[in-house]
Amino acid sequence: MFKQLEKTPRTVLVCERSHLDHEKARLGTHVEQHFFNHKVSLLVPGCDRLPAELDAALNSMRSFLLVRNLPLSQLLEKEFLDQAVYKGSTYGLSYQTRIDEDNCYALLPNGKLVLSVDKDTYETLGLEGKPSQYQRRPAGRYVVSVDLKDRTMSPGGKGHQRVVKALTEHTPLSCDLLLSQHLPGDESPALQSLLSNHKLSEHRPRVSSHVMTSLPCPTLVTSHLQGEQQSCDPQSFLEWLGAVDAGVTFEDQSDGYLSTYECPQPQTVVDAAVRCSVTGLLLPEDIYHLLDVLRRSVLEPKLAPWLALTVHGFQDSPVSWGTAEHGFLSGGENFYTLVLFQNLDYWICMATGPHDACPP
Amino acid sequence: MQPAVFERVVVKNSPVYQYMKVSLVLEQAQTKLTAVELKHLITTGLKSLYGEVGAAFPFDLLTFEEDTLTAVLRVYSRGLVRLWSSITLLGFFQQQRCAFRVLQVSPYLLALTGNSRDLALDS
Repeated sequence: MFKQLEKTPRTVLVCERSHLDHEKARLGTHVEQHFFNHKVSLLVPGCDRLPAELDAALNSMRSFLLVRNLPLSQLLEKEFLDQAVYKGSTYGLSYQTRIDEDNCYALLPNGKLVLSVDKDTYETLGLEGKPSQYQRRPAGRYVVSVDLKDRTMSPGGKGHQRVVKALTEHTPLSCDLLLSQHLPGDESPALQSLLSNHKLSEHRPRVSSHVMTSLPCPTLVTSHLQGEQQSCDPQSFLEWLGAVDAGVTFEDQSDGYLSTYECPQPQTVVDAAVRCSVTGLLLPEDIYHLLDVLRRSVLEPKLAPWLALTVHGFQDSPVSWGTAEHGFLSGGENFYTLVLFQNLDYWICMATGPHDACPP
Repeated sequence: MQPAVFERVVVKNSPVYQYMKVSLVLEQAQTKLTAVELKHLITTGLKSLYGEVGAAFPFDLLTFEEDTLTAVLRVYSRGLVRLWSSITLLGFFQQQRCAFRVLQVSPYLLALTGNSRDLALDS
């Protein structure tokens, strides 16, 4: 009777396991290609205080800018192109715009400017784009991708003039933009001085940590990626991790009336565990640095045999991994969880929602 | 020690559960509600829309914040549409008007803990 009501939207979860030094390990690529990260959450069982080096890495994630009401044509000015686009990895994402309702914009570190716009904006903009993969019939949303590093896009070039005309005369688009830049070496980004004639504010990522006691933890065996009797499978582990992050109590006081959820078996109870999270516009380069520190920290014998790092992407980003289109539907999830074991084996689980391509 | 290997598994369309983050809006904002009352309210809504048999599937109330009346629910994937529709149509709690706002739905509980739409920056 309810068969037609029992379907749910498609989902994809990709799990990989390998060793950090394995030739096929693609951990670095997965981290680098996930451009727009909103939250990093780290769970370290077996300690009541994070190792100093790890604590410093979490607290030293670079700050980012929020530029209010920035015309997008500003991103095509010669100075901005020279200092931000050609010089180093600049990440820009429109702030408080919803990809299922509003126009959303992103500047990718590879120099691509992605505009995810509704039909009306697209038709007046006059730039070439593609209908969104997830709203095809009838197409209500279009994605325009402009490669700012292309030869024709150099200031004064034909392509450059066309895009500037579209963004200044046809449809002047503007938004509140989150911006951050990674430059190699000690060079400091010039974004602030470039955009000094706009209202902007600098923000440090917010760090919070929480110590839990007597936490039941599932047993993980590195070689059992698909779950065996002696080990928890990745799906159950992700659920447990979510339960810890959401503050679910593992002992139901109401004899199972409220919830029947419990920690997956087999489990061990650790005396203490630290959960630390950082939120803001977090760059893949900073997360990569954090991985380096984790690699050293996991070898400390006092800690539990594994630690888990979850990186959440922005739900309203026009891309998830690389340039793959991203949409919201009901959750907009795009995140990955890394489980690092003491022997430097790892699991990485990458999850996307119904409006997303398969993770790389 | 076993030699290092590379293994990749792609899991498609197999979520056992779906998770919903919902908040209850009451006509009289000062009304207090316990987790047990909230679960009872949702169960009542399910039964009134789908009957005893149609509502015979379990769901869990994983968390409940009494200050904001926000809850995280876990339901078997096959029961999501029924749960969602029944809380949408729930209109009364103890003779006062109420409405459920569905904030986020995902097959991953983890996704509900990192909602970028909540990112608030002062300028």
